[in-house]
Amino acid sequence: MFGYMGKILRINLTKKTITEEPLEESIARKFLGGRGLGAYILFKELKPGIDPLGPENKLVVATGVITGIPFPGNSGLNVMAKSPLTGIWGEATAKGFFGPELKATGYDAIIIEGKAENPVYLWIHDGEAEIRDASHLWGKPTREVQKLIKAELKDDRVQVGCIGIAGENLVRFANIMFGFNHFAGRTGMGAVMGSKNLKAIAVRGTGKVRYAHEEKLVDLLMEKLISKEALSGPYFPDGLFKYGSLADLGYWQETGRLPTMNFRKCLFPGYENVTAETLTNSPYIIRHNTCPYCTVGCNRITKANNPYQLDPEYATPEYESTAALSTLCMNDNLVATLKAIELCNKYGIDTMSTGVTIAFAMECYEKGLITKKDADGIDLTWGNHEAIIQLVEKIARRQGIGNLLAEGSRKAAEKLGGGAEEFAMHVKGMEFPLHDVRGMKGHGLGIATSNRGACHLQVETDDMFEGNLAPDIGIDEKTFPKEYRDRLYAGPEKVKIAKIIGDLFAVFDSFVICKWTVYPCGGYKTQTLVDVVAAATGWDFTIDELMKTGERIFNLCRAFNAREGITRKDDKLPKRFTEPLPEGPYKGEAFPEDVFERMLTEFYRLRGWDEKTGVPTREKLEELDLGYVADSLENLGIIKPIPQRKR
Amino acid sequence: MSHKFVVSNSNKCLGCRICEFVCSATKEKRLDPAFSRIRPVNYEPIGSMAIACLLCEDPACVAACPRDALLKDEKGVIRVDEYKCNGCGWCILACEFGAITLHPTKKVVMTCDLCDGDPECVKHCPFEDALAYATIEEVANKLRKEAVDNMLRVIKAGAKSES
Repeated sequence: MFGYMGKILRINLTKKTITEEPLEESIARKFLGGRGLGAYILFKELKPGIDPLGPENKLVVATGVITGIPFPGNSGLNVMAKSPLTGIWGEATAKGFFGPELKATGYDAIIIEGKAENPVYLWIHDGEAEIRDASHLWGKPTREVQKLIKAELKDDRVQVGCIGIAGENLVRFANIMFGFNHFAGRTGMGAVMGSKNLKAIAVRGTGKVRYAHEEKLVDLLMEKLISKEALSGPYFPDGLFKYGSLADLGYWQETGRLPTMNFRKCLFPGYENVTAETLTNSPYIIRHNTCPYCTVGCNRITKANNPYQLDPEYATPEYESTAALSTLCMNDNLVATLKAIELCNKYGIDTMSTGVTIAFAMECYEKGLITKKDADGIDLTWGNHEAIIQLVEKIARRQGIGNLLAEGSRKAAEKLGGGAEEFAMHVKGMEFPLHDVRGMKGHGLGIATSNRGACHLQVETDDMFEGNLAPDIGIDEKTFPKEYRDRLYAGPEKVKIAKIIGDLFAVFDSFVICKWTVYPCGGYKTQTLVDVVAAATGWDFTIDELMKTGERIFNLCRAFNAREGITRKDDKLPKRFTEPLPEGPYKGEAFPEDVFERMLTEFYRLRGWDEKTGVPTREKLEELDLGYVADSLENLGIIKPIPQRKR
Repeated sequence: MSHKFVVSNSNKCLGCRICEFVCSATKEKRLDPAFSRIRPVNYEPIGSMAIACLLCEDPACVAACPRDALLKDEKGVIRVDEYKCNGCGWCILACEFGAITLHPTKKVVMTCDLCDGDPECVKHCPFEDALAYATIEEVANKLRKEAVDNMLRVIKAGAKSES
């Protein structure tokens, strides 16, 4: 098979067995890799209702069909399991050097099952794998683990994905660090590793993928993907290279949508202290960092001595991390924010969930639901940056109040009661991204219906389409005139865009490609990526097939969630967004429940899902070659059988 | 007069490996970076640098070759006679920079030939000043400017935070 290594590695930590399975071309073409492949495996192999932190959960680490082909953004891998944070479909992507290295070991994906008796790590190299003792690595911070493993294996080019102490302590939003500061951040995949006593996965490979038309691929890459014109929209290179994703912070402030004070406000008075310009002009940045074969270089490495000592091994800020730990908590101290990010990365917890949970705790403190005594004597007043840093430490170690917050904001709110649920900013248990959706309605719908809980990377429809179109995927001026692409427009056309992008991004997470490089405002054309897949695999791949595959993957993940009990009632935004924005250019703008519900009904109708339950119908599933999924849902009583159906 | 060569600035290079791909694509029409004449080295978190032939004045590789397969031409480029070379690897051992590698399929050594004076890797390097085609004097001049620039930036930032 071209484009793939054609093998999947299965490791059972309980039985200590290591086996190989072929990756069938028919499955590869239907699910591509990454999210699609993981969803296929997990839907088939996980029973509904299992404990995400029990040995019966499985962790899939999968690369995609084009992983390893050297062009910007194309270095991803996807980690999937049932999420301990949300109890539903869990996945997180990470970029960097690990994904291509994993594929070069000879495996497109690895499936990890069971639970090891003692701490272990996996060593996978050129078609061989072993389970090794990791008791000496337990309790160590992420980068140190990577260095120790490289030294132990006597190879500098080994890539290591590992958890920190937060994963060991089963913090529900613990993450996995892959290589140098690339994270599978969300939905608590690190806790799943921790629950299996699996500290790290080390890979090194020299295997080569066979491509159907290698010379054609080389020409395509040289002409369309790595040339300086390829990524030349407004984001590149003056935006992302110069300022990194943190440039968003200034943009949200300007447009009055900067999440502040746990989403109560949308302008942050001290924002100038934490913008990208401030960081760029500060002496703290020591250099930029990049993913393999990327011409963007959005990541940066920082160092400082005052007022906090910053370790460049970990202090790598980007927008979501920075906003979560600064503006959302009313903290305008840049170095303190960088310090909080550094600690999150060192201990292996998701910066976004951590920041949102801390902001939640601060609001509880303000409202008297958490007292100073409950908070172990920490003064959780808004903006107290020392408190933020102390809380990060406590969450990672599950000490005192940290033990409550390590459960995530939904569970913490349930335990606290007293109306705390009203301002726990999450969807389906995952903390909200740093995007105020009152000012971008399609994005709000996307976050509410995302299969992994509040995620901003599943559907993006608003600001970026105002000045840009993507005619190759059907978003053209004729079908979607300007008024339908307005960020505040909440009618059926916006829902249509949300569906298109949802399907498209499902494919991108299966490729697994960086979203920055595919945005319509200057990223690759979808047709270019289709050509890459066709040249790599030899398939007669088209945009139509790509969109259909995306829809299949989106529906499969939804079916996974339906099996776990997700219905229409779970597709909702936190109540706070029904309150009007208090200030700024969009003062008074809210996301009323009836507007949202109308969008949701339209979304289900377009998706071919049951409008009452939000579950995919048999017709839709069969249309997508997912008949077996419909059978499975029917057996569980989640969808009703069609009585007069001819078999 | 010294020769121009492909030189990487460790302060600007991010280790993205684009140069490596461009080299194997240009020279061999291959995706596999093992065919590249330039090799980036990543040293996280402090720096990265790409290494290609430095066009030494008195090249150790040429001296080491027992079969006279390596010759320095008038532009300073080390030329490999693929008929004479048997891939013994003595030149690889002799080069202190690891700038010579073995061709994965032909089993003869390969070195940077500067793409006839217009190196593709330099043209495609995405990061300003990370890769340059320059003489050693030009490189030194640039480094001096950079050092002063950095020093002034730190001093100014310090003065700002004290005031």
